[in-house]
Amino acid sequence: MKTKNLILFTLISTFFLIFIVSIWKILATLQGLNIQNFNLQIIFIFGVLISFANLRIGNKIKGFYKSILFSLIFVICDGYLIQKLPLWYNIGIFLILYFFVNKINKYSFVNLREQHSTQIIFFEFLTLFGILFFSFVILFPFYMMLITSFKTQIALLVNPLDFSINFGQDLTSLFKSYFVIFESYNFGRYILTSTIVSVGTVIITLIFAIPAAYAIARLNFFGKTFMSTSILIIYMFPAIVLVIPLYTIFSQLGLRNSIEGLLIVYTATTLPVAIYMLQGYFKSIPKELEEAAILDKLSWFGIITKIIIPLSIPAISSVALYVFMIAWNEFLFSLMFLDNPNSFTLSRAIQYLSGDAETPRQYLMAGSVIVTLPVLFIFVYFEKYLVSGLTAGSVKG
Amino acid sequence: MANIQFKGIHKSFGSNKIISDFNLKGKEDEFLVLVGPSGCGKSTLLRMIAGLEKIDNGEIFINDQKINELHPSKRQTAMVFQSYALYPHMSVFENMSFGLKIEKRPKEEIASKVKEAAKILKIEELLDRRPKELSGGQRQRVAIGRAITRNPKIFLFDEPLSNLDAALRAEMRVEISKLHNQIKTNMIYVTHDQVEAMTLADRIVILNNGNIEQVGTPDEIYNNPSNIFVAQFIGTPKMNILEISEENMISENILKLFGLEIKFNNIKFEKTKHYIGIRPEHLKFNQKSDFTFNPEIELIENLGNEKIIYLKKDKDQLNAKISSNTEISNKIGFNLQDLLIFDKNKIRIKL
Repeated sequence: MKTKNLILFTLISTFFLIFIVSIWKILATLQGLNIQNFNLQIIFIFGVLISFANLRIGNKIKGFYKSILFSLIFVICDGYLIQKLPLWYNIGIFLILYFFVNKINKYSFVNLREQHSTQIIFFEFLTLFGILFFSFVILFPFYMMLITSFKTQIALLVNPLDFSINFGQDLTSLFKSYFVIFESYNFGRYILTSTIVSVGTVIITLIFAIPAAYAIARLNFFGKTFMSTSILIIYMFPAIVLVIPLYTIFSQLGLRNSIEGLLIVYTATTLPVAIYMLQGYFKSIPKELEEAAILDKLSWFGIITKIIIPLSIPAISSVALYVFMIAWNEFLFSLMFLDNPNSFTLSRAIQYLSGDAETPRQYLMAGSVIVTLPVLFIFVYFEKYLVSGLTAGSVKG
Repeated sequence: MANIQFKGIHKSFGSNKIISDFNLKGKEDEFLVLVGPSGCGKSTLLRMIAGLEKIDNGEIFINDQKINELHPSKRQTAMVFQSYALYPHMSVFENMSFGLKIEKRPKEEIASKVKEAAKILKIEELLDRRPKELSGGQRQRVAIGRAITRNPKIFLFDEPLSNLDAALRAEMRVEISKLHNQIKTNMIYVTHDQVEAMTLADRIVILNNGNIEQVGTPDEIYNNPSNIFVAQFIGTPKMNILEISEENMISENILKLFGLEIKFNNIKFEKTKHYIGIRPEHLKFNQKSDFTFNPEIELIENLGNEKIIYLKKDKDQLNAKISSNTEISNKIGFNLQDLLIFDKNKIRIKL
């Protein structure tokens, strides 16, 4: 059992090391380093040696020194002696090795003796594989977008496959694309429109969704079950099916090219999910709280505003976040309903610019970064409200 | 100072009849305990008084005023919920003053009322905390405090102690008892715990399937149960009930139990099945008793201060409760006056 676990552990950790070092090497190549080959055999041998030595040494040396020692040995052999690469590459390799040795530090001969330790090792490294692989896949386009927005037209034309950022230039020229899109492409206006539309959609959706969700969660009325089960039916229709009839209707009503028109469509599309999410949360609020409120002379309206809403802040903020993201990123309806540049939203504006062959790519990418950033910041800020547990302490639990 | 009266209350949920024809007249400043097994309709009754449940049929009066159609907040009742139902987003002070704030009472009045209630319940130092920072017992105190600040004519308690652990439950039981002595208001208390019922109540109402089985003081209920249900519901371990078949009814006043012929005075038995009840604490070892018999001892549970003895005589299972310093032999005795007789419908025959 011990030998089998030992071999498996060494192999898995070695493959993991090869994987992360390879990613670093790919990224380094993108930065313009000329790496002839990946030297996989050498990494493999070192991986096996380090895994084994780590088990062998165990707790005889402090974990910190052990990590430093192994990392240094690897860096000197691989980066300095064999390939002779620049310092920043070697620092990266050093950090990767440090992370790797720390990761395998907790394994020792003792816990390899346990029967199920192979499974634990396997799943732990599988999780790490997954996280690294998918974050690489997802983050790479963002990286592309970001570096392209920092480039000049000439740099893009000279070497389109250069993935490095030239930090040598001063800040004004680095952020030149961002100034240009605000000055000559009117992005300030698009941001304003997008903000009004998104925030407006959030407010209107919540105004309708909170009472509706409360009614479905708590009150008894005719057709309640049908209502609550059919809320999500609207999602059976793809938006493209609705967009053409809506186009004719909006044209006749004069709602095209207007923010009001967009608000109506966006509210209609986000309301069902908002109601669905909220009613689930409202149902989880103990009924006794409302009964206590009734005895405290609160009306239905008072119960909603003074009890239900304060207790549902986590749910309401996640609904608000969801609605905001939908409205901010929405493209199909804005493409169909807006054709006057004065009423463009951000996503529609970027589409408009990219349709124009004259628009330089770095400006488009700068615009895309601007579309992405607010959602990112809002998400980071609201995240703390998404943690539930606000009802803790009201009732036994 | 209030009295409550129920006249012919009916309640059903769908086709499920919960309470049928409930009649009761309360006394002033009385501590009334509604007790019964779960599903007997006791909580529903309480919620009907509070106004959280509609009354299907019948009338409830508080101080001769019919409250059927009154809004819950106008009934001058205050309820303490089993789950406390404190508002988690408010401090203890806000929780206790919420009702008064909704009524738009002046600030000084609110502050003084909350302080007064906090003083009674000894929670003055907790007023700034949130419910989640309190222990179970403290939460229950706050819930009671919230009821006190409302200054109700009738307090309604819906199994308020069932979420607490045993030690805390005993402590809070005493507190509630003291509270009643201190503020002298009507209290209606729902529980399924007979110990709470016996210790707290001025009068106990024993409910079963929505019907009143018996109403009386704890002493009356214990000593004079009106039927087998009540007799077995109160007392731990529950009362031993022994079936006396028709052939063991020897004559109009003699029946045969464990082979012993027992003669009663002032009674005329019908020649049908009867039941004899005897409490475990009335079965005695090695003492001078009117009658003795020799059962098999199956198990002895030692509780420290007392022992529960599981006995078997022929087909009958019996429990006896004795103090632990009593010597155990295989001879068990009982006295004539401790026997309760029930007829074939399980109704008590009074001697």
